[in-house]
Amino acid sequence: MLQNYIPVLIFLGIATAIGLLLMGLGFLFGRGQKDSEKLSPYECGFEPFEDSRMKFDVRYYLVAILFIIFDLEIAFLFPWAVSLDVIGGFGLAAMGIFLAVLVVGFIYEWKKGALEWD
Amino acid sequence: MFHAILFYSFAAILVVAALGVIFARNPVHAVMFLVLAFFQSAVLWLLAEAEFLAIVLVLVYVGAVMVLFLFVVMMLDVEVEEIRGGYTRYAPLGIVIAGLMVVELAQVIWLRGKEGFAVDGFRPTPEGYSNTEALGSVLYTEHVYAFEIAAVILLLAIVAAISLTMRRRPGLKQQDIASQVAVRAQDRVRIVKMASEKPE
Amino acid sequence: MNLSQISPAAPEITLTLMICVVLLADLFVPQEKRVITFWLSIASLAVTAWVIVVTASSATTLAFDGSYVSDPLSRLMKLCATGIVGVGFLYARDYLQQNDLLKGEYYLLGLFGLLGMMIMMSANSLLTMYLGLETLSLSLYALVAFERESAKAAESAMKYFVLGAIASGALLYGISWVYGVTGTLHFHEIAEVIRQNPGLNDVPLWFGIAFMIVGIAFKFGAVPFHMWLPDVYQGARSPVTLYIATAPKIAALALLFRILVDGLGELHGVWQGMIMVVAVLSLLIGNIVAIAQSNIKRMLGYSAIAHVGFILLAVFTGSETGYAAALFYTLTYIVMAAGAFGMVILLSRQGFEAEAIRDFKGLNARNPWFALMMLFFMFGMAGVPPWVGFIAKLNVINAVLEAGFPGLAVLMVLASVVGAYYYLRVIWYMYFDAPEDRSVFQSQADTRFVLSLNGIAVLALGILPGWLLKLCIDVIGHS
Repeated sequence: MLQNYIPVLIFLGIATAIGLLLMGLGFLFGRGQKDSEKLSPYECGFEPFEDSRMKFDVRYYLVAILFIIFDLEIAFLFPWAVSLDVIGGFGLAAMGIFLAVLVVGFIYEWKKGALEWD
Repeated sequence: MFHAILFYSFAAILVVAALGVIFARNPVHAVMFLVLAFFQSAVLWLLAEAEFLAIVLVLVYVGAVMVLFLFVVMMLDVEVEEIRGGYTRYAPLGIVIAGLMVVELAQVIWLRGKEGFAVDGFRPTPEGYSNTEALGSVLYTEHVYAFEIAAVILLLAIVAAISLTMRRRPGLKQQDIASQVAVRAQDRVRIVKMASEKPE
Repeated sequence: MNLSQISPAAPEITLTLMICVVLLADLFVPQEKRVITFWLSIASLAVTAWVIVVTASSATTLAFDGSYVSDPLSRLMKLCATGIVGVGFLYARDYLQQNDLLKGEYYLLGLFGLLGMMIMMSANSLLTMYLGLETLSLSLYALVAFERESAKAAESAMKYFVLGAIASGALLYGISWVYGVTGTLHFHEIAEVIRQNPGLNDVPLWFGIAFMIVGIAFKFGAVPFHMWLPDVYQGARSPVTLYIATAPKIAALALLFRILVDGLGELHGVWQGMIMVVAVLSLLIGNIVAIAQSNIKRMLGYSAIAHVGFILLAVFTGSETGYAAALFYTLTYIVMAAGAFGMVILLSRQGFEAEAIRDFKGLNARNPWFALMMLFFMFGMAGVPPWVGFIAKLNVINAVLEAGFPGLAVLMVLASVVGAYYYLRVIWYMYFDAPEDRSVFQSQADTRFVLSLNGIAVLALGILPGWLLKLCIDVIGHS
């Protein structure tokens, strides 16, 4: 079975090689006159007033976590779909209950307004 | 042989990446090392012919969980240097505990090795074997109870996440698209019929 | 698989359905009628308790291919947990209303936590046990952080979450070792495999057991894994502390019974020593540090650690007498803990948390009846006869003596004497000091009634402990 993945391995090898090669070339032939002034952030001739990295809003977090939950739900659907002829009606019912519980969750987050941005 | 070389090289990258997570000075770099570590673990699972788990690791952990981690890291706005202080203070204790665990693990493996505890390598799976199908055939029958509990945990996660992070901002001006679309001309414009007036 | 194989799990299924009903109903209830959610939650608990009672029998049945077990022990534990969660909900109602915290989520998370506990009590496989534990823990983390505006609550939730995640990791690591050695997840099969292969009783299995005990001790809050407990008790809102301090203790006992007794009972000699160290440390540190506390929630937290020491020492004996004593102790302790935190909630009002021990000063002058109730709870916890704490302690000491550890028994008596000091201090404040604030309690009649019943129960169980004791022994004997 693992032979099927040989192309992926070759791909990984080439990708790594190209990545290293490009970085290596830059490292070898770059001028590389670095000093702290040159590397510091620059704002129209002023010293930067504040850090350029801003805090993210907590709302992104909520979206991400709701995404993970439904992502996991879908992950459970894959083996189910593949083995449906083995597990039969019982498996169908099991997945039905699983999805029903998550639909309750979906109604909850929709009605609560968690899916709205503002 | 080739299999073993692959295993050890990917395992080595995994260890390096894991160390990178701990020692990276920038938390975003640490998250990136964690992504690399997850990828390497996925490859190891693939080598063990657990294809489904490998793909799920990439899809769920790399695709979703690590994005969440990045959000959290960016949300926290951590002062990196501040954390470093406690880091070195507790390092000796951490090293002692880690050393103890390594010794215990080594002892276990060594004792087993002495008894001739043979590790038989991966047995090649029969033709047409699908790991995903094998997993599915027990997950939804034999382990159905655990499977349904997983649904409840996901539901609980929804409730917990919403109750902890969702807040309504007071005085927010919202756009209600449905009512915008449903608006009719007669709600907005009043047409007044007037008798025409003659100039005096 | 057909319906008859699923029917033993009727209580869990009922509770899950009721949770979905409460969840959906809460969405459509306007804020001013939020109390509907409360009554629905109470109704859910009542229905669940009813299902547990009607499906009760003395038989042990397995379901879901052996990953679920329904035996008298699990049913008794479930019934008690359901009852105590209901009492906790009732005590919390007025408090939440006064502090603008009355949201459906409190009750929802509480019900989810109860579901997790019930899953743990009926778990017959390491996998189910772990999932139940995570359901419980996740609800508890969210409950502690329930009041979003409070930095204190967020801090304690963070501590609880990080330490709890590490403990879950330790437990899971131990589980993986035990699974790796025995090749099965089901408790009775683990016991069978170990019985048939005595050669397995070796370092790898001990290694797994050690990690699992770390996880179990953390969930109990036993020393040296107790760090989270005082901070969480203090940082969480009182109704949440009440919840954490009561029902999850039964679930932790179930975790201990199922894993160490059902699964690894053969290896009693291996885990006995570890449990003893943890128990003795809890007994000493809990009782001694509690003396120095000025915050009553924190004091009760350290006292909980000391009580856990007693419970663990009862399990340590490895005898059926000991297990029955542990069960009796846990069930009676949570009644007293519910009452004590109920009093803290009763004394609190809008914007004021009666969490300093000073706040109990002169309670007798303000309200003699509830001062008497608090006296009952304190005497009960201290182990003064005829309150129930005395019988519970006596049982444990008996079991330890029977197992042949007179030194430990002496230590337990001494620790109880030390512990009596801080309980008596609260009583001293209530009866011999002048009140600092004379405001009247703002709670409804039904809350007061149940709190009074709770106090009387502590005395009544102490005078007539026979039936509960017999029940505990029967239940342990049948499981």
